[in-house]
Amino acid sequence: MQEKKSSPKDFFKRFSKNSTPKTAKHAAKGPNQRLRQRAAVLIIVILVIGFGATLLRLGLLTVVQGSDLQERAVDQQLADTTLTAKRGTIYDESGNVLAESASVWQVVMSPINFKNDEQRAAAAKGLSEILGVDYDNVYEKTQQKSYYSVVKRKVEAEQRDKVIELVNMLAKEYDCGGVISLLDDYKRYYPHSTLASSVIGFAGADEQGLEGVEFQYDKYLSGTPGRIVTAQNARGTNMPFAYEQNIDSQDGDNIYLTIDQNIQEICEKYMLEGIQTYNVLNKGVCIAMDVNTGAIKAMVTSPGYDLNSPYTLPEADQKVIDSLPERDRERAESEALSAMWRNKAVSDTYMPGSVFKMCTASMALEEGKINDDSTFICNGSIVIKDKEIHCHTLAGHGVENFTLAICNSCNPAFIQIGQLVGMQKFRDYYKGFGFADKTGIDLPGESDDTFWAEGAMDEVDFAVASFGQNFGITPIQMITACSAVANGGYVVQPYVVSKITDAKGNVVKSYEKKIKRQVISKNTSKAISEILGYNTQRSRATAGYVAGYRVGAKTGTSEKIGVIRKQSVFEEDYIASICGFAPIDDPQIVMLLFFDTPSADKYYGSVVASPVFINIMTEVLPYLEIKTDYSDIDVKYLDASAGDYTGLELKEAVKKVEADGFTCSIKGNGDTVVSQLPLVSSKVSHGGNIVLYTDDASRSETVTVPNFYGYTAEDANYVASQYGLNISFKGAVGSGGTCSAQDIAMGNIVQPGTVITLTFSAVASEGFND
Amino acid sequence: MASSPKNKMLFRGDLNRIYDEKVRQKKKPHREQDRERFFVRPVRRREKNAKWFDVGMGIDLPFCIIILILLIVGTIMMFSASYAFAFYTQEDSFYYLKRQILFIIVGIIGMAVLSFFNYNKLHKAAPIVMGAAYFFLLLVLVLPSGEGGVKRWIPLGIFNIQPSEIAKFAVILFFSHWCSKYYNKMQLPKYSILPGVIVFGSISVLLLLEPHYSGIVIIGVLTVIMLYVGGMKTKYLVVGGIALGVIILLLAVTGGLSYAMTRMDGWGQALSAERGTDLWDSTWQTRNSLYAIGSGGFWGLGLGQSRQKYLYLPEPQNDFIFAIVVEELGLIGAAIILLIFALLVWRGITLSLRAKDKFGKLLGIGLTSQIGIQVVLNILVITDWLPNTGISLPFFSYGGSSLIMLLAQMGIILSISRTANIERQ
Repeated sequence: MQEKKSSPKDFFKRFSKNSTPKTAKHAAKGPNQRLRQRAAVLIIVILVIGFGATLLRLGLLTVVQGSDLQERAVDQQLADTTLTAKRGTIYDESGNVLAESASVWQVVMSPINFKNDEQRAAAAKGLSEILGVDYDNVYEKTQQKSYYSVVKRKVEAEQRDKVIELVNMLAKEYDCGGVISLLDDYKRYYPHSTLASSVIGFAGADEQGLEGVEFQYDKYLSGTPGRIVTAQNARGTNMPFAYEQNIDSQDGDNIYLTIDQNIQEICEKYMLEGIQTYNVLNKGVCIAMDVNTGAIKAMVTSPGYDLNSPYTLPEADQKVIDSLPERDRERAESEALSAMWRNKAVSDTYMPGSVFKMCTASMALEEGKINDDSTFICNGSIVIKDKEIHCHTLAGHGVENFTLAICNSCNPAFIQIGQLVGMQKFRDYYKGFGFADKTGIDLPGESDDTFWAEGAMDEVDFAVASFGQNFGITPIQMITACSAVANGGYVVQPYVVSKITDAKGNVVKSYEKKIKRQVISKNTSKAISEILGYNTQRSRATAGYVAGYRVGAKTGTSEKIGVIRKQSVFEEDYIASICGFAPIDDPQIVMLLFFDTPSADKYYGSVVASPVFINIMTEVLPYLEIKTDYSDIDVKYLDASAGDYTGLELKEAVKKVEADGFTCSIKGNGDTVVSQLPLVSSKVSHGGNIVLYTDDASRSETVTVPNFYGYTAEDANYVASQYGLNISFKGAVGSGGTCSAQDIAMGNIVQPGTVITLTFSAVASEGFND
Repeated sequence: MASSPKNKMLFRGDLNRIYDEKVRQKKKPHREQDRERFFVRPVRRREKNAKWFDVGMGIDLPFCIIILILLIVGTIMMFSASYAFAFYTQEDSFYYLKRQILFIIVGIIGMAVLSFFNYNKLHKAAPIVMGAAYFFLLLVLVLPSGEGGVKRWIPLGIFNIQPSEIAKFAVILFFSHWCSKYYNKMQLPKYSILPGVIVFGSISVLLLLEPHYSGIVIIGVLTVIMLYVGGMKTKYLVVGGIALGVIILLLAVTGGLSYAMTRMDGWGQALSAERGTDLWDSTWQTRNSLYAIGSGGFWGLGLGQSRQKYLYLPEPQNDFIFAIVVEELGLIGAAIILLIFALLVWRGITLSLRAKDKFGKLLGIGLTSQIGIQVVLNILVITDWLPNTGISLPFFSYGGSSLIMLLAQMGIILSISRTANIERQ
């Protein structure tokens, strides 16, 4: 408009000015030219800087980061359709299930698909009622703008059915049935709950192994999750275009342990009993191992914990934690949990004490520093570099030969033996027996030993080390060394997994014995074994004597040096231990057990650990079908089978009974035996009483069962014969045990001749030979 | 200018126009000269006897072709991006396509009509349009709020009106008017800084209340461009830029940007967010956009082959459509589309420069720049270089009012091109 008012004069003036080449320069500064220039700048800014930046950014994303982003996109497009792999089963040696995964479900929803709050409230209400989760919590989840939100995992079949009902109801009444869905999930079950808990370990909420074998072999157990590579949209339904490729999930491999469920059960039973009897404050450890292969037959940290609820602390501990101030609680709880889960057999070190003497003795014999004729003098103490070291008997053992030095477990003698070996050789053998390295057992968290560094060991240290004090080793190292002493000198690598099979049963991997080295000769091994065998025979119940078997064992009582806070009722805290093997001629099994800090009335290995050892071995050795070799004393407590005497003439029957080694009593006035008690093939102790009935009337006769508890075998026999009853002996009869259980309780009315099974437990009340 | 002709400097375009008028006056002495006709009829004005049906006769054919190419490509891609989302949410894969085509028809008719419109009429209309923009900006604040408590739309039954769209156009129009009127005084802050601050400031406040931050950003950039091209001293531009930075900083400190800040929370963190966190949820759209772009690679997955559009990328037909475009057509496809946009900007600005008056030049440059700015900002948003603020991609994003508005603006540029072409005859 404004231009319109410009006069023609102006026009011509400017036209000429503008069109004159001479004034072109001047014109460049004119307003129109400026506009052109600025428009050009604008184009450059938008196209070069703006579009350039976008192209640069797009290039970076597509070409440089492209493959990474694409992977993540594909991951996402398939992630929701991952097929969970079933975790492998853990079996014991003979195929009993120790851990397995069962199908359960997880409830998920895609809250973005809710259309109004009414739907949200209905779904949240239903879910919170069925699944027992907090309503507000679920309602909050329904408000999320996401396609995937887990409401609850590991839902069992019963609840699943209810969720399906709820989904149908929601579909019908609120038109939002598709929001909630059920996905496959697995839950780990441990059918024996506490059995071998420290070995098996447990798996977490996502089926990931957290402890023990579950952790160590997680790679095999977890399997490979599958994928349905039908690309799916964010709601989890299939995309319409063809893009299909199914990869099934591969179930995890199954693991067979070397652990034998029965042996494990036996060990756990007696360990728990021992812990209660001796008021053990810091748990107990028991390991049973194949002497020749290193296969672990049982490994106990007692008391164990329930693998099905690994986060539940024992009530007493929980109470202590609850009484703590708020801020300390969490830390205390996690500490208590890790202590509960800890596999003491491999993760903790202890001082082996006198048990270690079998190693010191082996090295001295191997080096030829001593022989059977070597004698040692013990005056009750010995002075090393101004430091007096006492023996456990103040009076001393006097003059003793090598065998007696071991049997007496004489500390001064072993200091002398150690000195004969020499510090350097001692260190070499220490390494040779495998104490300096981890054993390499296939369990997590194995600990290193604590020993004096090269050159840091003085004479006093060396003296106490000769009898197993003041250095720490793991129980698994000790049992490995003991098996080397027993099996001809071979240091083996202990292991708990025998084989791994895939889901179809094909063997993926199998583990066999692995010999690391031979540390002592067969002869030395043989000699020490014989001495240890003599030790048990000599001291019986206090040294691990098991009736019917030749067992070699050494007990130990180690002082817990350097403990921060004394816990027990004694002047010092102790570890009562025993380590032994059987049979001596052809060793099959080696066992180490100890109780950490007993705090009842006794603490010596010979009186605390030995009886438990005997009880376990008395059951384990027959189970392993090891040939018995009874001494005369033991024979009389053996059972025999009653023969068939019914239908015979009375005289003939009596003759036959006596021929079978029983005594007999006759009831009734008839001539032929109508019936008998005990029945045919019943197990009766040698010299038992067979009641022969010659008429039916006399069978109504009865006796009342007396008390056998606390009696020795001899006394029990006498009482039984007085009542006309029979007994069958079980347990540690021959090693001076007393009756700890009778299968028919006192006061019951039975027929004469009835067999009462008595269980004997070793009781060692005297003789501290460790 | 009219008041002080002695200071006026005329250049070729002006001279030509004035010359034209003189010729006309000579030819038709009885013709009314002061009143401009409402519609320009180029047939009459051209020296040759151009026919009414000859499309090429007046309007800038390359520019028109570029617009049509973008419309066709954009619609195809909008359909490709939206059909899965439409299927799941509307149970009709063609839901968005059908509606978009309807909008295009309306828009093209509007564009054609406006291309015959004498844009000089807008000189007078500028204050009215500005007033209308303010009216709608105020109206939307009074109306009940939409989803999430934001007030950005005025529902009109068939489609919604976005007052900020009107405001963008009003700002361009107003400054074209202002700068052309006071072109010689633009050096003075009173004529450049003052109106800039008043207009932008007042609109910003209203948009803040909606709130609609991307609108503020675009209007701010447009104001600066208009004032810059309109002749403001560069020095003020620098000062203004610093001032703007300070204002934004102040707002951020006082919490006025809370909505944008919550959206910015996830800015640049889309790929590092942890599953299950709030951040994961708030960066969901941006992350999936990046996944889509990355999946495309150099060559793309092929037309229609996007996987991210299957509900992973929420509302793929709207602001984030270009992510699906890159996924399907790859970097190469994206580059070609960007090239077409660049040609549009280039052509739009150069043809505007040929307009016979400053008003036309400025109006054309402003409208064209708006497209360029939106394209750049949109792509930088979907690639996570700018916070997710909701800027649509011209010709591609679904949306009735913005598309019709866009095509109407294109109609105005075409109208400018007609007059520009006349000068060349």
